[in-house]
Amino acid sequence: MRKIGDIASRTGQLTQVHNLAPLPPPYDRVEDLPARKKLKQEVLDRIDTSLDGFSALGLSRPQTPEEERKFIARFLSGLEKLLSADNNWAFLEPLNLSLDHCARCQSCVEACPIYTASGHDEVYRPTFRNEVFRRLVNQYHKSGGRALAWLKGEDIELNAATLCRLLESAYRCTLCRRCAQACPMGVDNALLTREIRKLFSMEMGIAPKEIHDKGSMLQLRTGSSTGMNARAVRDNVAFLDEEIRDQTGLTIETPWDKEGADVLLIHNAGEILAWPENPMAFAIILEAAGISWTMSSDLAGYDSVNYGLWYDDAQFARVAVRQAEAARKLKVKKIVLGECGHGHKASMVTADRLLCGDLNVPRESALVLLRDIVISGRLTLDPSRNDFPVTLHDPCNMVRMMGIVEPQREILRKICPQFREMTPHGVDNYCCGGGSGFALMSGYNFADWRFSVAGRMKLKQILNAFADCPSPAVKKYVCAPCSNCKGQFRDLFQYYGVWEKSGILYGGLAELIVNAMADIRQPFIKWEFH
Amino acid sequence: MLLIILISVAVIVFFAGNTVRIVHFLRMPTPLRWELYPIPKGPRARQRYGGSYFEQSDWWTKSHDTGRAGELAFMAKEILLLRSVWENFRGLWLWSWLLHWGLYFYLLTTVVAILAAVLRAGSFRLLHLAVLYGSPLACSLGVAGSLGLLVMRSLHPRLRGYTTRSSVFNLTLLGAAFVTGLLSLSDGAGLDGLVRVLLRSPASLGHYGKISQAHLALVAFFLAYFPFTHMTHAYMKYFTWHGVRWNDSPAIRDPQAAMRLAASLQREVTWAATHIAAGGPAKWSEVASDPGGRGAGRA
Repeated sequence: MRKIGDIASRTGQLTQVHNLAPLPPPYDRVEDLPARKKLKQEVLDRIDTSLDGFSALGLSRPQTPEEERKFIARFLSGLEKLLSADNNWAFLEPLNLSLDHCARCQSCVEACPIYTASGHDEVYRPTFRNEVFRRLVNQYHKSGGRALAWLKGEDIELNAATLCRLLESAYRCTLCRRCAQACPMGVDNALLTREIRKLFSMEMGIAPKEIHDKGSMLQLRTGSSTGMNARAVRDNVAFLDEEIRDQTGLTIETPWDKEGADVLLIHNAGEILAWPENPMAFAIILEAAGISWTMSSDLAGYDSVNYGLWYDDAQFARVAVRQAEAARKLKVKKIVLGECGHGHKASMVTADRLLCGDLNVPRESALVLLRDIVISGRLTLDPSRNDFPVTLHDPCNMVRMMGIVEPQREILRKICPQFREMTPHGVDNYCCGGGSGFALMSGYNFADWRFSVAGRMKLKQILNAFADCPSPAVKKYVCAPCSNCKGQFRDLFQYYGVWEKSGILYGGLAELIVNAMADIRQPFIKWEFH
Repeated sequence: MLLIILISVAVIVFFAGNTVRIVHFLRMPTPLRWELYPIPKGPRARQRYGGSYFEQSDWWTKSHDTGRAGELAFMAKEILLLRSVWENFRGLWLWSWLLHWGLYFYLLTTVVAILAAVLRAGSFRLLHLAVLYGSPLACSLGVAGSLGLLVMRSLHPRLRGYTTRSSVFNLTLLGAAFVTGLLSLSDGAGLDGLVRVLLRSPASLGHYGKISQAHLALVAFFLAYFPFTHMTHAYMKYFTWHGVRWNDSPAIRDPQAAMRLAASLQREVTWAATHIAAGGPAKWSEVASDPGGRGAGRA
């Protein structure tokens, strides 16, 4: 069994991923899975993989004692700022509450899908990284901390290995917060994990490329983390309008920058490129229901993502403010957030106290608007068109962190005769394994970890939900009303060959609604595009 | 005399330490929202599955339940039955429950003993009986709980790696206090006697036996030590649960929100990464409005 102090070991790898929780057949055959990516020796010489053999960040360990000294000094400087009101007013209170009140009772550990999937590997225990961090705070931040730490036997050597492993470890948690639900004290391990990420990003400029350089920085520069600028997004959506005409015969022109519209719809812009059927379905539904709506071509006004939510307060605030400014400029009655889980939470919850006065434009979930439209009878729906097994994935950000549980179920109960729940579901759901940016991160060999560990419990849940019809001949649908989760399902299903072995497709909620619309001539869901 | 001084200092440290701790948290800047469902507010039907006001269309135009009844009921189950431990770590529950109820009974019995002493209510048979039976019950539960937890912490694979010297010290301290509390009964003192003497004629405390004095010394030490430990979760749960986990109050309904935000945005940012404030120290308002994410700041 690994001890907490082992994190400071200057040599060797702390753990190896093996002994994973079993999957049901035929997914139990390891030999059927793609071989894990082997990093070249030159890469291994350059980056730190000493936590578990994987790398999310491609972090280079300091090479000389002087570099190590500076690395540690920068960390300690960041630690002081993280615990100061000026630099961290936004999370100082919950951070301190979670640092000070853990009873180390371990009630939370079994709630963690990563710890469970890993076969209870100590390094993935949700309390492991935070106990390390708590001890570093006590030892290096509090007065008399070093003597007390020694006295209590809680001292940890602060060296480059400790810090590299601590940071990598902060990217082995999807911030799903199941552990926080289980804590009797109200301690939040996910919050602590996010604060560790934040320290490294905001003080040392270290964050995964996919969510910083190619994510929030790109969004602030071009308007979208996809890199689409205003012109590109309008061109792409115009193409989707044509697609709608070709597929359904409906003539729809997506409204742009329409001042005074009731609804400003902000999609995760990734949908437009990766899952265009989702924004197409939204356009069809909103037009058919007679909703006054628009999209915005302002910076960040057409992309609901806000990756800062996972790792950086400054990036978070910048994007949140841009999105609100786009809505204020158009004088819309409300923003409706498309099927993007973290976009929901970032905009509707976390940014709430950042947006005051006329910037606090009311924000609502698309699931609520879709529910109202479906239940109101404004669309003619034929549930027999969706007569195939359907299960629902609950995106953590919308459900556990916002309490949006029933609207999507009301829709599915009405339009999907073979709807069935996963176990557990609702606020107790398991994360898809792509949360907190993981679905975007595949650098080095991180994808292998994401598929074999992070997504494991969710895959198991999905297979169990369809246990009564395992044959690939029966086409089945996982409704995942979140882009990030869909990104994870796309990659996870491909890795395990889920379509070939089980005939399971994933997709959004709006697509199912359009598929059930009686006046759409042909099925909207294209099973062949699995 | 030394014992009297020790007890007096301990009581002062206890109240001062806890007050400072509470004020420290009360004075922290209002954080951003970070709630977690289920939240025990709103209609019962919605509470059952963990739903929120976000499930309503145009939620900002509708009235919300801001009452505390649901929260109190939830917290009562948490405090009295240790519900989260029961649901998530059944093996730990019994010992933890015994220790907590030992502490609850001890606290309650002490309060009743103080009441009886202050009211000079020797003839109030009910109060006398409460202390007479409450005290050994509290100490017995406490001894069982702390011993059980010590064994669990030492042997259970889920706990062993996370059992530090301070966990062992805390449990040993509590166990010793409860053991001496139990033994002081045979010493002829009993909690009511000790409290009465402490309040009315402290000078005669020396007449009591060594075990009773050791018990008082251990309790005094625990009181002075308590505010500096994680055991303050006893009342800090108000902040972790009500203040963070259940705090879903929207800024749109809060007239003070803009004022608080304005104060926070005036705070100076000194984070060193180049994308934050490349031009040197900046205010949060400047960082948030920096359009390119290239780093705000006054060069």
